[in-house]
Amino acid sequence: MVAVTFDKVRKVFGSVVAIPALDLAIGSGEFVSLLGPSGCGKTTTLRMLAGLEQPSGGRILIGDRVVNDQPPAARDIAMVFQSYALYPHMTVAENIAYPLRKRGVPKAERPAKVKAVAELLQLGPLLDRKPRQLSGGQQQRVALGRALVREPKVFLLDEPLSNLDAKLRAHMRAELIELHRRLGKTMVYVTHDQLEAMTMSTRIAVMQGGELQQFDTPAEIYHRPANRFVASFIGTPAMTLIDGAVAVDNQRHVLHLGELAIALPLQALDLKQASEKVTVGVRPEDVLIGTGEDKALIRIVEPTGHESIVTLNAGGVTFTARVPGDRRLTAGETVPFELRRDNIHVFDQVSGRRLNSHG
Amino acid sequence: MTARQSIKTIAVNLLAWALVLVISFPLIWMVVTSLRPQSELIRIPPSLIPKGITFEHYARMLWETPFLRYFGNSMILAVSTTALVVLIGTLGAYSLVRFTYRGRETLATLVLFTYLLPSVVLILPLYLLMVKIGLANTLPSLVIAYTTFALPYALWLLRSFMAGIPEDLESAALVDGASRIGAFIDVVLPQALPGIISTALFTFILAWNEYLYALVLVNSDQARPLTTGVMNMLITSFNIEWSLLMAASVMMSIPLIIIFTFLQSHLTRGFGAGGVKG
Amino acid sequence: MTDSQISLRADSLPKASLSLERRYSLLGLLLIAPTVLVLSAVIVYPLCFAIYLSLFSIYTPTLQGSWVGLDNYAQVFGSGTFWFSLFVTLIWTAGTLFLQIVFGVAMAVILNQNIFLRSLARSLVLFPYFISTVVAVLAWRWIFNDLYGILSFILIKIGIIDMPLDFLGSMPNAMVSVIAVGAWKFFPFVVIAVLARLQTIPEQLYEAATMDGAGPIGRFFDITLPQLRDVLTIVILLRAIWDFKEFDLIFLLTGGGPLNNTRTLPLIVYQEAFGLNRMGMAAAYAVAMMLIMLAFMLIYLHRARERPA
Repeated sequence: MVAVTFDKVRKVFGSVVAIPALDLAIGSGEFVSLLGPSGCGKTTTLRMLAGLEQPSGGRILIGDRVVNDQPPAARDIAMVFQSYALYPHMTVAENIAYPLRKRGVPKAERPAKVKAVAELLQLGPLLDRKPRQLSGGQQQRVALGRALVREPKVFLLDEPLSNLDAKLRAHMRAELIELHRRLGKTMVYVTHDQLEAMTMSTRIAVMQGGELQQFDTPAEIYHRPANRFVASFIGTPAMTLIDGAVAVDNQRHVLHLGELAIALPLQALDLKQASEKVTVGVRPEDVLIGTGEDKALIRIVEPTGHESIVTLNAGGVTFTARVPGDRRLTAGETVPFELRRDNIHVFDQVSGRRLNSHG
Repeated sequence: MTARQSIKTIAVNLLAWALVLVISFPLIWMVVTSLRPQSELIRIPPSLIPKGITFEHYARMLWETPFLRYFGNSMILAVSTTALVVLIGTLGAYSLVRFTYRGRETLATLVLFTYLLPSVVLILPLYLLMVKIGLANTLPSLVIAYTTFALPYALWLLRSFMAGIPEDLESAALVDGASRIGAFIDVVLPQALPGIISTALFTFILAWNEYLYALVLVNSDQARPLTTGVMNMLITSFNIEWSLLMAASVMMSIPLIIIFTFLQSHLTRGFGAGGVKG
Repeated sequence: MTDSQISLRADSLPKASLSLERRYSLLGLLLIAPTVLVLSAVIVYPLCFAIYLSLFSIYTPTLQGSWVGLDNYAQVFGSGTFWFSLFVTLIWTAGTLFLQIVFGVAMAVILNQNIFLRSLARSLVLFPYFISTVVAVLAWRWIFNDLYGILSFILIKIGIIDMPLDFLGSMPNAMVSVIAVGAWKFFPFVVIAVLARLQTIPEQLYEAATMDGAGPIGRFFDITLPQLRDVLTIVILLRAIWDFKEFDLIFLLTGGGPLNNTRTLPLIVYQEAFGLNRMGMAAAYAVAMMLIMLAFMLIYLHRARERPA
C-alpha cells in the first residue's frame, strides 16, 4: 500500500523553480530519508507534504486522498521540527497533550495517553517542567512525544538530530530505528547527514537541485549509485572521481585515466548514447595497495586508529585509499597498487549517468 | 584595580551623575515647589532650599478644582484607547507578518507613512467630521481620534515583536491540529505578550499625554482630560498659582511614574525591538 | 471534488493560487480589515478632505465657505508669513535636532559604562520623554519665570548675569529656550535607541582597537560611531520629522511669540483655523507644510541610501 505519493509536484518561489517535477511513491511502513545538500529541496518537499507550503503544481496524496487543499490539521500527520518548536509557555505535559486537545480527545482520556508516551520516551519526571528547563536531548524527545501521542498515519521529521552533539546523535539514531521497528509507522525523514540516512532508512531519496537523483535502498545507493552526484555524495571518505576517456580495443573497454589504462570486459559498460568521455569513480576500499602491476607514490598517510586514509599518485592521477590500521606505510614510498575491477564505477562525463551495465 | 583605573571610574561616575542631576532638575524642582508652603514661593529672590513641607496645594487641587473629573476623563480615555488599539493592532500586525496577499507591502508602507503625518493637518477635517456625526465635545470623539494616531505606531511595534516569534511554533501548532486562528491564540499571543504589554503601555502614555486633539475636539469641562484641563485652569484663573500647577503636574504624572518604576523594562523593550529597526 | 477535477485544475494552471493558499490570504485580509477601516476613516479621509478644504475659504465657527481654487496657496506662498515661518521652523528643527542627537549619543555612551546605580540613572534620564508636554512646559515656565524662577536666580548667583532674564518674551532668548526645552524633552528617545545598539557592539572590537593603540576618543570615532550609523540614520530622520511637526511644546511655551519669532508652521495652521477663523487657509498652510516635509524626507532618504554600506 502506498502511504505518500508525490505526483509531478512542482514548486516555484517567485521566478525561481525550486522543484521542477517530483515523482515519489513512499510505501506504508517505510522509513524514507530525503537526503541531499542544503538547498536541494528536501525540506521544501517535506513542508509541502505537511501542508506548510503549497505546491505550485502537481498532486500530493496521503493514502489515496489528494491533500493539496487540506490544511495541515486535516492531513493526519505529525511533525518533528529541527528546532523542536516546543511551546515555551506550556509544560512538557501540556505540550504533549496539545495535539489531543486540538483533535477533541475528551479531557478525561488525555492524561493516560500523555503518560503512555512519556513512559515510552522516559519523560516521566519531566512532565511538569517548561521547555527552557530541559536539555537539547530532552527537548527532542518531548518533540517526538508530541508527534507520537496522536498516532497519525505519517511521521515527518525535519533534521531532528542536527542540533545534538555527536554522542547524543548516535544514541537518538538508535532510538529512532527502534521506534520505527516497534511502531511500524511510515516515516519521512529529512537530513543532510548520510550516516543517518544510511543507518535508519528502508529507502533513501537522494535529491539535488530540486530533482530526485536516486530512490533506492541504502545498499543499492552505496554500491550502484545512479549518477556521479550520488556517487560522490555518499561514502566517507568520498569516492575518488577521475575524468578520462574510454576506447574500445580488442574486445575490451579500456579506460584511459591520465597515464593509466584499465581494461574492462566488453559487457561491463553500456555505452549506447554515451560519449567517449567518462568519469571513473573508485571507493577508497576498492583501491588496493600492495598488489598489482602498477606503481603508485604515497603522498599522505592519515592514521585514524582502526584504519588509515592514504593519498597516492599513480600515472598522474590522485587516489584516496583506506587500509587497515596495522599496515605501516610512509609518505614517499612507492608501492604496487591496483583497483578492484568489479567495483569500478563509470559515469558519462557530460550527463553524469551511470554507465555500468548491470545496475 | 590600578589607581589610574579607580580615578577614571570615579571621574566617570561623577560626570554621569552630575549630568543626571542636571537633567532631572526641572522635575525635581517641580516636586519641591509643589510641597512648599505658599509663603515661601512668593519670595523674591527665590530660595533653593525649602524650609517647610505642606500638602495643601495637593489638597486644594483635589477638592477645589475639577481636577478629579479631568483625571477620571483621562483615565477612561487612555484605557479605552489602549484596549481598542491593542485589539485592532494585534490582529493587524499578525496579518502583516504571517499572511501573504496582494498589496501587503504597500499597506505596511502606507501605515508607516501615516505615522509621520502632522496631526495639525488632520485635526481640521477630524473636527468637521466629529461635528457632522454629532460627537463633538465628547470623550468618544477623543477615543476615536487617539486610536488613529496610536494605531500606526502600535502596528509597527507589534509587527516587529511578532516577527521575532519563530514561525516553527505556529507550524507545529498547525500540524498538531490547530486552525490558523487557533495557532494565533494558543501560541502567538502568549509569546507576544511582552510585546503587547509594551505596546499597551506606549499607547496608554500617548493617550494620557495628548494635548492638541483634546484642545481642538473638546471644549466642555465635562469631557476635558487632564492635559487641556490643567492648562485651562492656568489660562482662566486670575492669578497663576504656580504651587497649584506644580501639584497638578505631579499628580498628572502619577500613572507615568507608576509605569516607569515597575514596568520600565517593557517600555525600553519597545524601543529595542520595534522602535528603531528599519 | 473528484481527483480528476483537482488534477485538471492543478496541472493546467501551474501558476494559479490553490484554494488553501487563497483561503489563508482571505483570512489575512480579514485580520487587517479593522486597521484599514480605522486608518482610512480617520487618516486617509481627513487627509484628502484637508487637501479639498484648502481650495475653499471657510469661516470656522459656522463652517460656511466658498470656492477659491488655488487662491489660498497663492497667498501662502506669496506672503512673507509662510516663508518666515518656514525659516523659524527650520531654525527650531535644526537646533533642537542637533542637541538631541549630540546629547543623546553622549548620554548613551556614558550610560553604557558601569556606573553606580546605573538603572536608576537611566530611569531619571528617560523620564522627560514620557511625561506630558503640558507637565514639561509647566515645569520649565516656572523655572523661566522672571519673578520667581529659579534659573535667573542661579545664573545671577554664579555671576553670569546680573538682572533676571526674560527667557520666553524676547529674542533670541525665546528661540534658544524653546530649542533647549525641546532637546531636554526629546533627547531620551535618542538615548534609548543608541544605548540599545551600543550594547550589541562586541567588546572585542574595542579591545582590538586598544591593542592597536587607539585612545578613548579614537575608539569612539573609529569603532562606536560607524557602528551607530544605521541607528542614527533612522533616529535622525524620525526626530527631524517629529520635531518639524511639533505643536504642543512651542504652543504652550511661547504661543509663537514674541512677535511670531517662534511661530513654527504647525502653529500657523492652528492660528489660522481657530484664531483667524480661516479654515481653508489653515488647510492650505498644512498642505504646504506636508509638501516641504515630504521633499526633505525624500532628499534625506536618497542621500542616506547613496552612501556606501
